[in-house]
Amino acid sequence: MRAWRALVKASKYQIYVSQSLDPFLNLSIEHFLLQKTPPHSTVLFLYVNRPCVVIGRNQNPWLETNLSLLQQNHVSLVRRRSGGGTVFHDEGNVNYSVICPTVDFARDKHAKMVTRAIRESNLRARVNERHDIFLDQGSMLEEKDWPDPTDMHQTRFHRENGNSPPLKISGSAYKITRQRALHHGTCLLASANLRKISDYLKSPARPFIKARGVESVRSPIGNVLHEPKVSSMSYNNEFQSQVINAFTQLYGISERANPIALDEKPHRELLHNSADEWAAGWVGPELERITGIQAGIEELKSSKWLYGQTPQFILSSHPVEEDERERPPLPEGFPASARVYLKVRSGTITAVQISISPNQDIAKAEAERFDEVLKGKDIQDISDFKAVLDRAGHESPSDVSRIATWLNFMLGKASNKKH
Amino acid sequence: MAAIARLRVPLVASARSFSSQTCPHVRLAPPLQARFPRTFPASSVARTFRTSIAFQEKKYTREHEWIELSEDGKTGTIGVSVYAAKNLGDVVFVELPTLDMEVAAGDSIGAVESVKSASDIMTPVSGKIVGANDVLQEKPGTINKGPESEGWIAKIEVKDPEEFKELMDEDAYGKFVAE
Repeated sequence: MRAWRALVKASKYQIYVSQSLDPFLNLSIEHFLLQKTPPHSTVLFLYVNRPCVVIGRNQNPWLETNLSLLQQNHVSLVRRRSGGGTVFHDEGNVNYSVICPTVDFARDKHAKMVTRAIRESNLRARVNERHDIFLDQGSMLEEKDWPDPTDMHQTRFHRENGNSPPLKISGSAYKITRQRALHHGTCLLASANLRKISDYLKSPARPFIKARGVESVRSPIGNVLHEPKVSSMSYNNEFQSQVINAFTQLYGISERANPIALDEKPHRELLHNSADEWAAGWVGPELERITGIQAGIEELKSSKWLYGQTPQFILSSHPVEEDERERPPLPEGFPASARVYLKVRSGTITAVQISISPNQDIAKAEAERFDEVLKGKDIQDISDFKAVLDRAGHESPSDVSRIATWLNFMLGKASNKKH
Repeated sequence: MAAIARLRVPLVASARSFSSQTCPHVRLAPPLQARFPRTFPASSVARTFRTSIAFQEKKYTREHEWIELSEDGKTGTIGVSVYAAKNLGDVVFVELPTLDMEVAAGDSIGAVESVKSASDIMTPVSGKIVGANDVLQEKPGTINKGPESEGWIAKIEVKDPEEFKELMDEDAYGKFVAE
């Protein structure tokens, strides 16, 4: 580990592949590399995560994901430090990350590099204008219309096939600091979860939440491999090796700087050349012991980061001035005259307007009581809204219970069961 | 998108050695004025007045932030330059600094998100954060509309006015981004 830390601080080119499937560890290794590698170095880091949903730095988990469903399926929720939208990772998805000097940063550069690697298995891949990688779906063009094979923005296929639009296989996000720029992205190779992903990323509260911050751009997705014949892990390694080759070619580094190509036995010592020019190797759970990485994991797992970083939003059962959209029908039994409005800042409820009575004066008094029990609470600390709302001592516990059930459903409280 | 590459430049040379290269008397070449129309005072009278009080001049960092001192010289307003805003692209979210936060020059005081990138905003000088532009919470695109005016980001109670000497004036910054 000491050897690794020394290489991290010295080498001009660095290539690491993670053996861990822990998204918190992998993102923290990545962040450690962003902070600790020399200002003029260029780093490639490849990793695969167990099933998790990763939201962008300035996104809202209650809006972007179905939190109850994630919990039921043991899918972790992770907030990354880079910008952009929500993505899903699993063992059929390989993540790549390139860290380079900010002066050398260009958004397309490494998306093209990865596309070069993807084209080893699928010639339909191209980089689009949002720097994401898509697979064209149409039939092959006539040979005279084929683009230059080095053109990573066009393929030799028609983009669409009838109603089938190009499918997204890879999304990108960036983090830019004073000296260093990080570009990371996903690549769906052979995910078995494609159908589930849209459910994971569909919040029941979408029609009721109006949020500041960044909303995801939704795209139909696909796998690079149509019918994976090999087990996904061995294909992951093959693909990772292709990305490493694309990286070493791009930067003119020795082909030997590829820990996967050399990997006949499960070996795992670090490779490097004596001149500090390059270092390459496998990394894994042992890195959790490094203080900086441990701190990164703790930060990523903290409520303060995961939920507290959420830009301000409002949740409202009915149209309000700040969010005039028509709402879908509320659940049966939701009291007809009830109104629910919460304003949430940094994950904390800062304004509450909840009332049940159609009578304005009574409604006002009710609102005051609910305000008292809810205001200042962190959403994340509430496991069941019923327990909290009951403290208001309302005369109609059944009405309160319906409202609590709705709030539980909206904000992904697992206790969203019968009361 | 190659232009973004210049957005933040590593501090290779020390700030001091850089400032020694700047020359406040050099007149601005016309193309530069066309490029940064907002950064210039409306009249030449104002210009004369401002240069006469050295500390009130707007200063820039190599990371493309600007800072302008208040008339009493105690508070600085911080934002990103026109050049930076153009390179960032559409700003979709701004993380503003917390009030009363004590910061040292070069510390990150917030971040802007644009085109899937989270970019740190650094304070040009040390001090205490005493204001944040709340308009940006509701309308982050204000940074693109007026990065050096209504799109300012934070106000800082300046700890050491000497730090201003290390920053670039408009002329030097103009040359720096033209490089």
